[in-house]
Amino acid sequence: MTNQIPPKPKKQSTFVKRMLIAIVLIAIYTWTIASAQARIDWGKIFSIRTVENFDRIIPKFFDPAFAETGTIMEKMIETIFIAYTGSLAAAVIAVPIAFLCASNIVRNKFLNNVGLWILGAVRAFPEIILAIIFVAAVGPNPFAGVLAIAIGSTGMLGKLYSEVIEGIDMHVVEALEASGANKTQIFFYGIMPQVLPEFLSYAIYRFEIDVRASSVLGIVGAGGIGTLITFAYLNRNWEEVGMILLAIIVVVTIIDQISGYIRRRLV
Amino acid sequence: MIEFKNLSLTYPNGTKGLKNINIKINEGEFVVIVGLSGAGKSTFIRSINRLVTPTEGDLLVDGENILKHNGKSLRELRKKVGMIFQNYNLVKRSTVLKNVISGRLGYTGTLKSILNMYSKEDMNMAYENLKRVNIEEKLYSRADELSGGQQQRVSIARVLTQKPNVILADEPVASLDPPTSHQVMTYLRQINKEDKITTIVNLHFIDMAMEYADRIIGMRAGEVVYDGPVSEVTEKTFEEIYGRSIREEDMRGGAADDE
Repeated sequence: MTNQIPPKPKKQSTFVKRMLIAIVLIAIYTWTIASAQARIDWGKIFSIRTVENFDRIIPKFFDPAFAETGTIMEKMIETIFIAYTGSLAAAVIAVPIAFLCASNIVRNKFLNNVGLWILGAVRAFPEIILAIIFVAAVGPNPFAGVLAIAIGSTGMLGKLYSEVIEGIDMHVVEALEASGANKTQIFFYGIMPQVLPEFLSYAIYRFEIDVRASSVLGIVGAGGIGTLITFAYLNRNWEEVGMILLAIIVVVTIIDQISGYIRRRLV
Repeated sequence: MIEFKNLSLTYPNGTKGLKNINIKINEGEFVVIVGLSGAGKSTFIRSINRLVTPTEGDLLVDGENILKHNGKSLRELRKKVGMIFQNYNLVKRSTVLKNVISGRLGYTGTLKSILNMYSKEDMNMAYENLKRVNIEEKLYSRADELSGGQQQRVSIARVLTQKPNVILADEPVASLDPPTSHQVMTYLRQINKEDKITTIVNLHFIDMAMEYADRIIGMRAGEVVYDGPVSEVTEKTFEEIYGRSIREEDMRGGAADDE
């Protein structure tokens, strides 16, 4: 064996580093488990009462109240509409902000950062918090949900869009420039055809997420199926909760499948 | 006519792209610029349509000093100076026709072009130009379905649709295989002869330069080190331009196929 590959150079510090990491990890685990041990009353968690509660509630989930299908589907459709309107609005609002963030289009570091700050600030809020804010602003109706979804999705879509824009082939833009096209023409002929399919793909993906997100918005009164969950839960009507969950699972799965199919065809 | 007068270009990082160039290119000439990579061929060619802006001297195209152009007047210049690129630079997701018609953008109003409202003459011209490079059957194909040579022919059709007086070609065959390279060069040559369009091509293949050029300009380190008709050029000239002996890789090989 003359042609052996040379051994990987060993650094002196590696062993010490690994030992340190191991010690820190062990310390963290010990601390976590020890404090959990001290505060959690395991006896209470695994008590007869817990088991009885599970025994009482879980079977009811599996015996959904099919009689309620009509009302539930009506609210489910409202949920989908909230998600749809919200993500459509976001898909549009995100475009100008994304171009502002894209360093190959707006050649100004400060403006790029302004765009990124806006998107970052928006993304910091979970949808449910936005929904609480908009319920306070426009009242407890689906419109509040639409606004919450629209603003919440803009943060993510804007970021993803701007990455798409930064990845385009700038040579095409150069070629159009060299043929005497003006900025608007370059935008429609050189940039849009390159980014549009990906924009759409991300918007559809976000719609998928929004259907899930808007299912819980009703809990704070922003419309959709979440409202029913709250009522059913407060009334201890577990059969209805089961039915709602079933409806959400079925609808979300169907939408995931459809959107996955469309997205594969797009790019 | 294109005239370089004491033209120099210094990039912001201090690199000298062009050093005191004085050259006249007459109407209808087929000029090939040769030199090693980094010799300033690209900078030379890109100065003519102001994709780069020289820092000193004058550059006259049809008697106008183009270094002062900006905005509208720059777009006017670029309408009459068409360009072909090494990587074709087509919009890959658009159809061949849409790519070719984009050569008319400089002549078409913004709103009309966005709404795809091109005159019948423009559409016919686009189709005729596709016919000239024998690719009219791909009219409605997406550009990314085409091979490299086909894409370069589409980009020739695009530049023709622009109705230029001058065609600049920046390493048009560097990404193509020898037979396709000859095909593309033959089209460029043919267009130059038939339409009397001044053509300036960057090449680093000696045999191709010899075969297609009327005139050869040699560049090294941002300077023009040779300028003369192709009939006076010998292998020794290239050795002087390159500053080293000629190697296998300086040749493209493959004979021109007559089409």
